[in-house]
Amino acid sequence: MSTRRHALKSVAAATGLSALSLPLTTWSQAGDLVVAAAPPITGVFAFAGVGLNLGLNDYCEWRNEARGGVMGRRLRYISEDSAYKMDQAMSVFKKLMAAHRPPVFYGDSTAWAKAAAVEVSQIGTTMTSSPSFASDIADPEKVPYYFMAGPTYASMCYILLEYINGQAKGGVKPTVALVYSDTEFGRDPIEAAKGRAKQLGINVVQEIVTKPGSVDVSAEVARLRRARPDFVIFHGYVLAPIPEFIRQMREAGMTGTQFMGTIWSMDKSTAEAMGPAGEGWMGVMPYRYSHDVKDAPAVVTMNQFAQKRRPEIKYVSTFYTHGWLVGSIFAEIMERVLRANRPLTGPNMKAALESMTDWDSGGISGLPVNLRGHQIATGRIYRFDAGTKLFEPASGWIRTT
Amino acid sequence: MRIGDFRASYAHDEALLATPVQRSWMIGFVLLVLVFPWIGGSYLTYLACLTGIHLIAAMGLNIVTGYAGQISLGHAAFMGVGCYTVAALARMEIPFYLALPVGGLISALVGIVVGIPSLRIKGLYLAVATLAAQFILIFVFREWDSVTGGVRGVNVPPAQLGTWIFNTEGEIYYVIMACAFILLLGARNLFRTYIGRSFIAIRDKDISAEVLGIDLFRGKLLAFALGSFYAGVAGGLMGYFYRAITPEHFTLTLSVFYLAAIIVGGLGTVLGAILGAAFMVLVPEALRGVVSLVTVWAPNAMALLSPVREMVFGALIIGFLIFEPHGLVEMWRRVRRFFHLWPFKT
Repeated sequence: MSTRRHALKSVAAATGLSALSLPLTTWSQAGDLVVAAAPPITGVFAFAGVGLNLGLNDYCEWRNEARGGVMGRRLRYISEDSAYKMDQAMSVFKKLMAAHRPPVFYGDSTAWAKAAAVEVSQIGTTMTSSPSFASDIADPEKVPYYFMAGPTYASMCYILLEYINGQAKGGVKPTVALVYSDTEFGRDPIEAAKGRAKQLGINVVQEIVTKPGSVDVSAEVARLRRARPDFVIFHGYVLAPIPEFIRQMREAGMTGTQFMGTIWSMDKSTAEAMGPAGEGWMGVMPYRYSHDVKDAPAVVTMNQFAQKRRPEIKYVSTFYTHGWLVGSIFAEIMERVLRANRPLTGPNMKAALESMTDWDSGGISGLPVNLRGHQIATGRIYRFDAGTKLFEPASGWIRTT
Repeated sequence: MRIGDFRASYAHDEALLATPVQRSWMIGFVLLVLVFPWIGGSYLTYLACLTGIHLIAAMGLNIVTGYAGQISLGHAAFMGVGCYTVAALARMEIPFYLALPVGGLISALVGIVVGIPSLRIKGLYLAVATLAAQFILIFVFREWDSVTGGVRGVNVPPAQLGTWIFNTEGEIYYVIMACAFILLLGARNLFRTYIGRSFIAIRDKDISAEVLGIDLFRGKLLAFALGSFYAGVAGGLMGYFYRAITPEHFTLTLSVFYLAAIIVGGLGTVLGAILGAAFMVLVPEALRGVVSLVTVWAPNAMALLSPVREMVFGALIIGFLIFEPHGLVEMWRRVRRFFHLWPFKT
């Protein structure tokens, strides 16, 4: 009798436990793998957000078509517009997390990444990324479940400075001016950039802070004319006031000065929008441009899929490329975890991410990708050719620390 | 039709909830609020928290602008003062039930300073003065690195009561709702006192109010202090809620958001602040829900419909201003009147 009761109790306990574990198992193990996102399709970051969204969406579709998803499980892309507002991005995050408990989530900004990091660390089920390259969130200790598909803004400045350092003639180092917007985005890399410039022996001859999108920059241009830098690095802008700076400085006869930018001011559409000021515009880009297909099978695949899926797109933007690359990193992380027959938990995905030390991105990045530090600290200097309206390489690929 | 509502004593006449029906509704509402995190799930609880924070801040602005008639475009900055104060106190392990009122008080002090120009100017001129305060305070948030963390912001430790740490939205929800309840009750009672009525008198005609013996200096500054106190508490709650704060949370856009909330909800009413905050938080969410429903059938429609959603939201606000300038609260009153008088002429 007691044996039968014991057996019944065991069966009941096992049934109860399996019933309890079922929803969790369903969320994280079985069926489709949900790739959730809150991209900024409207708002001030929409110029990039639309492309980011399409790139991530298309990577998931391509992966399902070409490779049957990840380990036989299809990728299901779900996104809602964040409007580049932190509270809306958080609300999309909460909504999609509650409804789908996705193993990976793509947000919209630094503010989102910081706010979500607390919760993501607590629940430990989700790996996240976003278009933010803020230096303080590429931190495997403090923000363990976040990575960025590119270098931090500080690393971008390091790459620019490495290039500038290589332009020394006769032992004389070029001089640099830093122009940045008075925003978190703009200020992010400045102290680090000044520190690296000092290490390299490059003299930062002027530092100018402006409002983002300033119109009248004549006073700032006068300061630059007095400083006569060989290179001016702009950061924290998308477009304005960069063209106005360049126009006024060229009119003042400073034709030898090179103007450089970082990722968000380096898309083809941005350089074209600069008009005549765009001629010779340079900067750091962590990805190959979509016309640069030599030794880049992933870029060819991406272009072909974009052409098939979205024939209205004439040129695949760097924003689309970014979304595509984020999708491929998400898929690689999940594949490594599932291949090891482990559950898709935060710690397992973090370990998988950090094991990607020599990953082949198919040429999207020109060097083997190392994500141990939760960033891809590589990039290349490109220069805009107003004749072909394309960015052409001005340097080899540069890896920084 | 409302019947049996006889008021036989002054106490009964002064009661906030005078009828059994009102008391029943309130009990039902309070019970719903108490169990909401269990039945609403994570997402709806998040929205409820957000609404709670915004309605406290909107109530603060309603005190300054709706009741006392003093335009303020610096409300978001007052929230920032409260938020950074609470963040600093929380890092010193001061419990939240002390940090929040202190955050409110510091914000109130700043509000008094900002309100000083209201003694000499009003209308658009005062709006510009408070706008200047908004920019000055944002500048302070950006530059005072040691306290505010500069442009990178600060992390706020979670609120804690003994060993209970309010980590999730389901937990901080109760702190937010408790604060909202206390502050709204305070506001409701304020306007049954001499102080609250003096605000209304100042708003309606300040010279007449002074002739009646109301101290304009005291009244206007008190309105700014109280409004800023509410904003400071709301800011502190925002800090505990998001746990990571940067100056970009407290922009002019947020000040305009609150102004829109109290105008849409109804100026000079407690219920107006509640309805306005709920409208401004929930309608964009509902519209986004509609867009995501459409994208189930048309996956590529999101890029097209997302900007339309913003336009619809803007059009809804304009529509309210045209067709119901007294705000949502007036619509609510009409609905109530209908049921009070039904089946007779409504």
